[in-house]
Amino acid sequence: MRLRAQVKKEVVKVPLSVDERWDLIEKISKQTVEFGARKHTLKDAIAELTVKPLTGIPVAIAVIYGFWAFFCEFAGTLFTDGFMVRLFDEHWLPWLQSVFPGGLGNPFYALMVDAGHLEEGVLVASDNCFEAFGMLTSGLFIVFGVVLWAILAFYLIFAILEDIGYLPRLAVLVDTVLHKIGLHGYAIVPTFLSLGCNVPGVTATRPLETRKQRFMMMTLLAIFVPCGAQIGIMQDLVPEMMGWIFLTLAIGYLGFGFILNKIVPGKSPEIIMDVPPYQMPTLKNIMSKLWIRTSGFLLVAVPFVLLGCLIVGLMYLTGAMDWLAAVFGPLLMVWFGVPSETVAPLIAGFLRKDLAVGMLGGLMEQGIMTPFQVFTSVILLCIYFPCLATFALMIKEENWKELLGSLASLIAMVFVYGGLIHLVGIMLGVA
Amino acid sequence: MNETEEKFGQIYFAVLGAVALAFGVAELIATVPGEASWGIMEMSGIFLPWRAIILLSVGFFYLSSVKNFAEVHQLAKAVMASIMIWIVAGIAIWARIAGSIPGEETWFNSLEGFLASYAPPYCPEMFLLPFSLVIVYYILKEGETVK
Amino acid sequence: MKVLLMGHPNVGKSVFFNRLTGAKVFESNYPGTTVDFMKGWMRLEGEEVELIDVPGTFSLDPKDLAEEVAVKMLEENRDSVVVCVLDASKVERGLYLALEIIEKGYPVVVALNMWDVAEDKNIGIDVEKLELILGVPVVPTTAISGEGFKELVSKIKETAPVKIEGVIESASAVSAAASAGKEGGGESAAVSG
Repeated sequence: MRLRAQVKKEVVKVPLSVDERWDLIEKISKQTVEFGARKHTLKDAIAELTVKPLTGIPVAIAVIYGFWAFFCEFAGTLFTDGFMVRLFDEHWLPWLQSVFPGGLGNPFYALMVDAGHLEEGVLVASDNCFEAFGMLTSGLFIVFGVVLWAILAFYLIFAILEDIGYLPRLAVLVDTVLHKIGLHGYAIVPTFLSLGCNVPGVTATRPLETRKQRFMMMTLLAIFVPCGAQIGIMQDLVPEMMGWIFLTLAIGYLGFGFILNKIVPGKSPEIIMDVPPYQMPTLKNIMSKLWIRTSGFLLVAVPFVLLGCLIVGLMYLTGAMDWLAAVFGPLLMVWFGVPSETVAPLIAGFLRKDLAVGMLGGLMEQGIMTPFQVFTSVILLCIYFPCLATFALMIKEENWKELLGSLASLIAMVFVYGGLIHLVGIMLGVA
Repeated sequence: MNETEEKFGQIYFAVLGAVALAFGVAELIATVPGEASWGIMEMSGIFLPWRAIILLSVGFFYLSSVKNFAEVHQLAKAVMASIMIWIVAGIAIWARIAGSIPGEETWFNSLEGFLASYAPPYCPEMFLLPFSLVIVYYILKEGETVK
Repeated sequence: MKVLLMGHPNVGKSVFFNRLTGAKVFESNYPGTTVDFMKGWMRLEGEEVELIDVPGTFSLDPKDLAEEVAVKMLEENRDSVVVCVLDASKVERGLYLALEIIEKGYPVVVALNMWDVAEDKNIGIDVEKLELILGVPVVPTTAISGEGFKELVSKIKETAPVKIEGVIESASAVSAAASAGKEGGGESAAVSG
């Protein structure tokens, strides 16, 4: 108020004339605009390079390559193949087989340690943890032998990218592409997170603004994004197929997203993300994120995998599995071109995808499936149902109409896409 | 950076860019048979096509940074190219480390086995790695001028 | 409430628009003309708000058909908030349009777009002071990287119409204060309000 007193009050006529307006602008700009004030730093220039498509896309390829290659080497080469397979197959399994009461053929022994399998009518013991299928063998091997390391590697890189500030820039970069399927750059965040575990992925859809976007995102995640546990197991079993598997899923994700965007009513406004400047990540921050996410994963995974082993084991013992295989076998064979034995992994897949792929591994070891059938089954396992934990979360997050919509999309998708893959296989002469 | 440093940077990164580009083309050609080797250089692996794309981009980034090299946006391209080499070469080194620790028959590798894991042949990116480190000098220089 | 996006042609307004709106965007002709404009929706504190990308115009004195449409659209949407997109490297030019809109009594948010380009050209803008003088929120943005958009959106609900007399007064007041060797932030804020 003191200031106002100092200024001689001018008489202002409204509207201003053109000249008056320019006078005013000059007055304003003189006080606020400064030349030679600030130069772009190297950091600014690099930030710019990573969001402009021409330079940003090669950078993104390098980063994603680094992500994936690190994941494979850390989880696959070093831990799983380097130590865990040996630990479980050469030490843990034989030791349990020798000390556990009961022995081959005993139901309790079968549930806990080794169900064995028939070879020319004779029940023989398993020699690896994919086939044994006991809670203490396959169950523990899948969680602690394979999946834990995959999850750890995944969340480590994810946290680093997040803390450096690359993730929001990747989102900006893919924004244009994702707009075409009614999603936004932000969708990269739940999608990436789901590659670790679908549960936090579904949670990360909360910032999406409208119900339509959330519904679409959750449905796409549940169907087309395999979780880290599943990827880890797949990488262990069929490394040579990973490229094709991801390609098939990506086509499904984009194609189905496009269709959903057309048929689901509602709007999809932009999600505005904060784009922080690049910064050095701190070790403490990364470690705490890693710990929270990994322990969260173990809490969900361990009980479900063990429970899954138990249920599948019981279904085998009671003959329920044979019955289901007989009922659904023809459908599986005719429509999807996979053997009726696939019923068992598909049942297990309701509980845990990693467990299911692990069972598929057991079938592969026994030589029941052709490579193309393995491929089809792996894809089917990805898309036919989200795991129980994800499904439970979806029940919580979606209303009943949306849930029915998700389920309907799921069923439609499994039949259309699964059939399509079979058809392509027939045309290529590999099915 | 002063004029001598700029001049040196221009020539240096022009050459490095050209070499990276040539290696990229070689990797691209190598994707046809799936692998190729040349002396102690080897190009193989399932990611070869992707690495070829990355290396080609690295070449282009370096080459396009040469004109008016001291300008911060131009320099940034060379920095980015170097970072891309560090990612790919870093992964290659990491893969060797990961493969060198567990042994064939024993839990841990023998010393000879461990060392043998680091023997040549190497991938092209690993040959570029030491040369790409020169950019660190320029990054530090740039940091000084800002202050 | 609607949000109008106004500014000169070539200030990166279409990228700006894309950053703010969703995937569902309509391109339509202004009735009876061949001038097209874009319409989309954005989300403001849980509410769906229509966002209109008004054809680029230099001033509110129409010189051609597109500018005429721009002025008409502004008049037709009296209840809207105007986001005035300026090229940060040429603030003076953009301010003319911004002042005109402020003068007409619209609540305005000024976006200093292409902030990165301005920085490249060694142009520094004292955003706080500009905000003080104009009495409306001023946000630096870079449409291509998405920087500043979160802040911009948060300001849309906050802004209110200001009197042009106030702007003139505070422009002189701040300069008077500055010439008197005072950089009184809080005090001159009282003036602008």
